[in-house]
Amino acid sequence: MSPLLEVDDLVKHYPVRKGLFGARKVVRAVDGVSFTIGKGEVVGLVGESGSGKTTVGRAVLRLIEPTSGAVRFEGQDVLTADPATLRALRRRMQIVFQDPYGSLNPRKRVEDLIGEAYDIHGIAAGSERRDRVGELLRLVGLPAEHMRRFPHEFSGGQRQRIGIARAIALDPTFIVADEPVSALDVSIQGQVLNLLADLQERLGLAMLFISHDLSVIEYVSNRVIVMYLGRVMEIAPSRALYSRPRHPYTEALLSAAPVAEPGAKQKRIILKGDLPSRTDPPSGCVFRTRCPYAIADCAAVVPPLRSVGTDHQTACIREDIL
Amino acid sequence: MNYLIRRCLISLGLIYVVTTLLFLALHIVPGDPAELLLSGGGVAPAPETVAELRDRLGLNDPLWKQYIDHLVRLAHGDLGTSFQDDHPVVEEVVRRLPRTLELILAAAVLALAIGLPLGALAAVRRGRATDRILSGFASFNLSVPVFVTGTILVLVFAQKLRWVPAGGYTPLATDPLQHLVFLLMPAFAISVGLAAVVFRMARAAVLDTLERDWVRTARAKGLSPRRVVVRHVVRNALTPVVTVLGLHMGSLLGGTVLVEYVFNWPGVSSLLVRAVEQRDYPEVLGVVLVVSFLFILLNLVVDLLYALLDPRVRHA
Amino acid sequence: MTSAFDLAFLRRIGWPLAAVCLILLVAVLAPLLAPHDPIRMDVVNRLGTPNWLHPLGQDEYGRDILSRLVYGARVSLSVALLSATIAACIGIVAGLIGGYFGGVSELLTLRVVDIVLCFPPMLLALLVVTMLGPGMETLTLVLSILFIPGFARVTYGEVLSTKNQEYVEATRALGAGSARILFGAILPNIVGPILVQFSLTVASAIVLESGLSFLGLGVVPPAPSWGLMIRGARGYMEQAPMGLLWPCLALVLTIWSINQLCDSFRDAVDPRSGGSTRGFWTNLRAVLGMSSRAAPSGAVAPEVVLAVEGLKTRIVTPTGVVRAVDDVSFQVRRGETVAVVGESGSGKSMTGLSIMGLLPQPAGRVIGGSVRLATKDGRIVELTDLDEPALRKIRGEQVAMIFQEPMTSLNPVHKVGTQIVEAIQAHRAMDNAAAQARAKALLEHVGIPDPARCLGEFPHQLSGGMRQRAMIAMALSCEPKLLIADEPTTALDVTIQAQILELLRALQREHPGSMSVMFVTHNLGVVAEMADRVLVMYAGQIVEEADVATIFARPRHPYTRGLLDSVPKPSHAADTDASARRRLATIPGTVPNLALDRVGCAFAPRCAMALDACRQGDPPLVDVGGGRRSRCLRWSEL
Repeated sequence: MSPLLEVDDLVKHYPVRKGLFGARKVVRAVDGVSFTIGKGEVVGLVGESGSGKTTVGRAVLRLIEPTSGAVRFEGQDVLTADPATLRALRRRMQIVFQDPYGSLNPRKRVEDLIGEAYDIHGIAAGSERRDRVGELLRLVGLPAEHMRRFPHEFSGGQRQRIGIARAIALDPTFIVADEPVSALDVSIQGQVLNLLADLQERLGLAMLFISHDLSVIEYVSNRVIVMYLGRVMEIAPSRALYSRPRHPYTEALLSAAPVAEPGAKQKRIILKGDLPSRTDPPSGCVFRTRCPYAIADCAAVVPPLRSVGTDHQTACIREDIL
Repeated sequence: MNYLIRRCLISLGLIYVVTTLLFLALHIVPGDPAELLLSGGGVAPAPETVAELRDRLGLNDPLWKQYIDHLVRLAHGDLGTSFQDDHPVVEEVVRRLPRTLELILAAAVLALAIGLPLGALAAVRRGRATDRILSGFASFNLSVPVFVTGTILVLVFAQKLRWVPAGGYTPLATDPLQHLVFLLMPAFAISVGLAAVVFRMARAAVLDTLERDWVRTARAKGLSPRRVVVRHVVRNALTPVVTVLGLHMGSLLGGTVLVEYVFNWPGVSSLLVRAVEQRDYPEVLGVVLVVSFLFILLNLVVDLLYALLDPRVRHA
Repeated sequence: MTSAFDLAFLRRIGWPLAAVCLILLVAVLAPLLAPHDPIRMDVVNRLGTPNWLHPLGQDEYGRDILSRLVYGARVSLSVALLSATIAACIGIVAGLIGGYFGGVSELLTLRVVDIVLCFPPMLLALLVVTMLGPGMETLTLVLSILFIPGFARVTYGEVLSTKNQEYVEATRALGAGSARILFGAILPNIVGPILVQFSLTVASAIVLESGLSFLGLGVVPPAPSWGLMIRGARGYMEQAPMGLLWPCLALVLTIWSINQLCDSFRDAVDPRSGGSTRGFWTNLRAVLGMSSRAAPSGAVAPEVVLAVEGLKTRIVTPTGVVRAVDDVSFQVRRGETVAVVGESGSGKSMTGLSIMGLLPQPAGRVIGGSVRLATKDGRIVELTDLDEPALRKIRGEQVAMIFQEPMTSLNPVHKVGTQIVEAIQAHRAMDNAAAQARAKALLEHVGIPDPARCLGEFPHQLSGGMRQRAMIAMALSCEPKLLIADEPTTALDVTIQAQILELLRALQREHPGSMSVMFVTHNLGVVAEMADRVLVMYAGQIVEEADVATIFARPRHPYTRGLLDSVPKPSHAADTDASARRRLATIPGTVPNLALDRVGCAFAPRCAMALDACRQGDPPLVDVGGGRRSRCLRWSEL
């Protein structure tokens, strides 16, 4: 069975000019990322700031134009699609944003925020549109009467529910969830995560769930992609990744995350130094400058993803560790 | 360093563009430029006068040749000769330019000296009587056009009270004191509105800076309020104030046109008004060119000042 | 603000709008209002004084001044409005296209704008007048050209910032075309700044028009214009000063009204200026009257560094008074790390700021309670009694603080070294060289690789982790007894967070007992790792206190329990089957509004265990044995 979404060698470079007549340099936001997502599968994309995870999410939906690479959705090429095809594609792939304040147009009523999806695709108008919006609001746990209100009348968690209602309005098969709970308080975060999990199950949605929070990713994902400095470090089924990470970066990331259990962690790996420059990344493996296991060979070639188990791949050349 | 060079190059580019545009100005207008310049009072000019002017302005040459000539002459510092008295325009402009610069400088210094401290004061006392009175006064001053200020100043201080002369000029070398007396009113007239602008910006910038985290850090270190305000508030608020001053450079230069006229200050701007009245095109063009250069230069100075004040700009 | 033109909006721009409308009305109705023909001369009665026929007198040609004023409004406003409208139409379109589509159109728009802005407006106007001759048509043309860049620039800037908003991206993700995005999502959100620009432009058009007319190069006589009237009256100001003052007054009042309208627009449009300032001052006065200090009970035990008792802090807003900290009592002992944990709005940060006397001014007030500090020289100081100069000696020296955002917490215009030296010299009589040396040693101590270089760098040249290290170095500069760390790792990535947490632990280990830490955070993982004791805050109150192991193992307050359960926990184990995912426990509802009055337990509306008793009286924070406290009536059932 062919996957729902295929991403192949995705690259996004942003030009920046350094110096007056200096060479035009590029920020390598995403540098050759490939992965697939199956029907109804939830794939977590985890990484720190500067890892390029948000760029991947946007590029997959072609909300930004990638520099090169291919994205196929249900066998259709997203990146070369003409406007009409793209419009049709967007009925089936949607996005939920991080910022519950910035992602809702402050001047529109909830009814129009969600109903706009129907206007654009000419699906429903008038009382039918109203009925559908009401149903969606109930589905995300808000009273249907709230459709006459403006976004500023809602709390952060409620706004995020409205954003989710908008994303599922067109009955998509795939959703990019870009840090959907990062801006919320812990107690509210749980409500939204549960809602997303329910909807995912009920509607059979496939999801690319982007987050910097490892525990959230573990809670929602079937498979996890770990990114660092624009590259994929490791791809693995959630359980395998968390029980036995096979890449030194994943290992360090897991070990660095504080756990809400006093005395839970015995040994801790603390990475030295900072993220290298994205305009001038290290040669070979981008992680080698901070990697406790780095050897001379790491600087030589960009390590390819190699298989280390069922569905489990790591971009580390050292087979003698982990 | 890079920033400095880039800014200078941009300014040079702008000077070139301005030069070209001013050359083209006369040719963009539909119809014969010479005829246009002569048809002041709605009376059609005599053909021989038009021909004479065409000849004089070199309008009979092909456009590209005129353009090259124009650039070459400019490169030699030649701005053409006045229609009125056949004097080289550049001589008159060079003689008058320092006086205009002096006026601008005096006005800017006055405006900063008045606006900055009062703006900071109003911000620190936000919402209290001091702030309300100062802010109200500033918003009123902002609404008085510079020639109205000038005229009222003349009416009150020269005509009624007879404290100062209504206008005029004495070179600094002749009589320094008298020179300053003549400078006082025009500089003040310009600075009233400008001070209001500086005041408002300084108030807003200080208010904004007061809420910044680093001000809290400075207080958490145990610094004295004076040191916090001077080094961590006003120092940072200078950047937006300078930016605003730069944005108002244009109206400042425009202001000198009116003020020099009101007070008979013999700067380049009053030369311009005279030239426009007499439709002395070479003189108008010369002054506009020089003042535009000056404008670009002043904006460059503001930008460099900006970089000096904000290290983030320097390293960008 | 719900819409640009609702009633509240109109009320806020009230009187300036009325004034501008009045002036417009005068201009429109000029033929009806003016008693005389504005250009009919009456040389016999030149400079005539006011009388019944000529209420404001006559000018140097005997024309009626009132009629000329009224008609002058017509000339000024029509030139100004027409040119502003033309400029707005062209400028807005250019700005929209340039800002939204980018590429060539962007380059073109920006360059043209830059070039027009190279000419001082007055000079450009004069140049055109020389070529085309004076007159109203010339004026309108020149002014339109002059004002296009302003509109283009404002629109461009607003489009640029709006188009990257997530709600615009959301519309695009729904499949909307460019037209829908531009006119449906972007334009309505930038109407405010464009309105402001429009009124600004009308005002400056009037200024320019009258200025040019004043020079005799604008409106052609004998047409009435305020600038021309001033020009004419100038020659006779000694004989008839009032003839000069009337047009000046008309001009100034018109510009002033428009400027006021513009200011009110700006305030109404600015999202930051919510509510009225009057409300704020009324509320502040009410709070100032609330102040009541009770003497703290008993002496401070020798091992206690900080004793807070009954602390009450209020934050004044235009719409109400927020009970940010509500009767908070706790102690910090020598060498101990106390974590204060809570969600946003729980009052955890405000507690720290209240102790330091660093509440936002003038909105924040401590209205009750006691904060006692054991200083290095063995005295007990009541911080709430200290005046500002005395508090200053405490800050940095006895109690230091680090903040969440290392980027904004350091001043961007001063070098890192200078800022640390400043902290040292605030409390130590040290010359610059010695202070620099100490600063360098401190930077080295907090693990900055090249401390000498770091001294000379500006904050923006350091990474987030390095900046937070520099902040810590600054906080340690006077070896404080207590460090208040307010979400010090929240803005950092998880691997950098691990570095900073490790650093803080190492610093405390180095000299055991020398420095206590009050660690404010929302992250339960960080709490578990850093704290000896934990205070859980909710709605400005401490709801539970216990040592770290106990509180995670057996919470004695429903809120604490709910909070712990809502964190997705790492399983590591094989019992998680992807198809049968666990549900996260959650706390229903949202945090209460602390500006409203409340009866009963603050958590009751969200609590599954709440009884009627919980909703009636404020439950006290009771000792539940073993040094732990809980603010729940039913703690024993948990």
